Amino acid sequence: MINRRKFLVKSATALAITFVVPSIISNKAHAKKPLAEKVSDKQSWGIHIDTSKCIDGCTACVDACNEENGLTGFGRPETDSQWIRKVTVKSNTTDKITTMPLMCQHCENPPCCDVCPTGASFKRIDGIVMVNQHTCIGCRYCMMACPFKARSFVHETLTQQNTNAPRGKGCVESCNLCVNRIDHGSETTACEDACNNLGHSAITFGDLNDKNSKISLAMNSNNPRRLRNDLNLDQKVFYSNI
Amino acid sequence: MAGILGVEAHDGNPHVSPGKSKADSQEACVEPTDLMRKEHYMFLLHQRDETVIDGVRTKQHSLANCVDCHVSYDNQGKAIPINAEGQFCQECHVKTATNITCFSCHAAEPRYPKHKNITSSSVKEINELANNITYDK
Repeated sequence: MINRRKFLVKSATALAITFVVPSIISNKAHAKKPLAEKVSDKQSWGIHIDTSKCIDGCTACVDACNEENGLTGFGRPETDSQWIRKVTVKSNTTDKITTMPLMCQHCENPPCCDVCPTGASFKRIDGIVMVNQHTCIGCRYCMMACPFKARSFVHETLTQQNTNAPRGKGCVESCNLCVNRIDHGSETTACEDACNNLGHSAITFGDLNDKNSKISLAMNSNNPRRLRNDLNLDQKVFYSNI
Repeated sequence: MAGILGVEAHDGNPHVSPGKSKADSQEACVEPTDLMRKEHYMFLLHQRDETVIDGVRTKQHSLANCVDCHVSYDNQGKAIPINAEGQFCQECHVKTATNITCFSCHAAEPRYPKHKNITSSSVKEINELANNITYDK
């Protein structure tokens, strides 16, 4: 004879075995994509930035990005490439001052891709917005369309590029969420590593589709929001405590 | 594989470019040598779209791997850009009067030592190659 209590306990155990255990195992199993496999919409990469942990005057993320992607300046701040930069904003209503890194926001509906005449500006299926420099003609429409001024144009002939970040004169470029690293199985971007190394941990990169990923956990507890939500671009970069 | 097809690496001839590359010590390229001579750009063209758009990162037809293997080293062990005068890519392209545009954006030297894919054994191998070469310039 089975009473109500035993029935409930057994049902709950069966449910846990059916749903919870496989999800834990499968999380470990699909951690790394084989190199030959195409990327898919199973992942949706994003970044969460907790501005309360971002330190005024610190440029570790910017330096790390420059290093990772071989962005060397020509002493011309107006035109030198910037994939990520530090900005300081002040609230009109509360006078609260916030400092934070700003980079390509990896919109779900990216205006840069809408205006690109060759399709070089595109959104990869896993959500990364990037420039296919093989087909970019350097018209810079995307730079004008981007509300976040996230893109840069290479004005000068370059040498000594990094193998993992091809870039050259006449093309537009921007943050690509360290796509080379991610495709090779890395779980962090260069900016996140740099921020963590200094103990600030303001930047969290990860898979927004995975409810147990570090970004999802950071998002749950921090009440994140998008910049310029009124534009309905559905960015994948979120900010907390602005 | 090279033995079965009867294909000698580089038709039995080492590179004629100054310096010495890892490719000189290999049995065969990633495809038969004849095919690579005529069609290497097709492999690269196909791979580039798969890599940029679909995130496929296989090494067989990757330009970075071409450079890693075919780049020559001077006798200080320093890599010579593969598009420099007389080097592997440049030599044929000058002969055939065809511009190479790859290296206006892509690195013409092998992966930086900081790159994770460079292992201590491959550095050792490259250093050994570099020690055994003479490069007059």
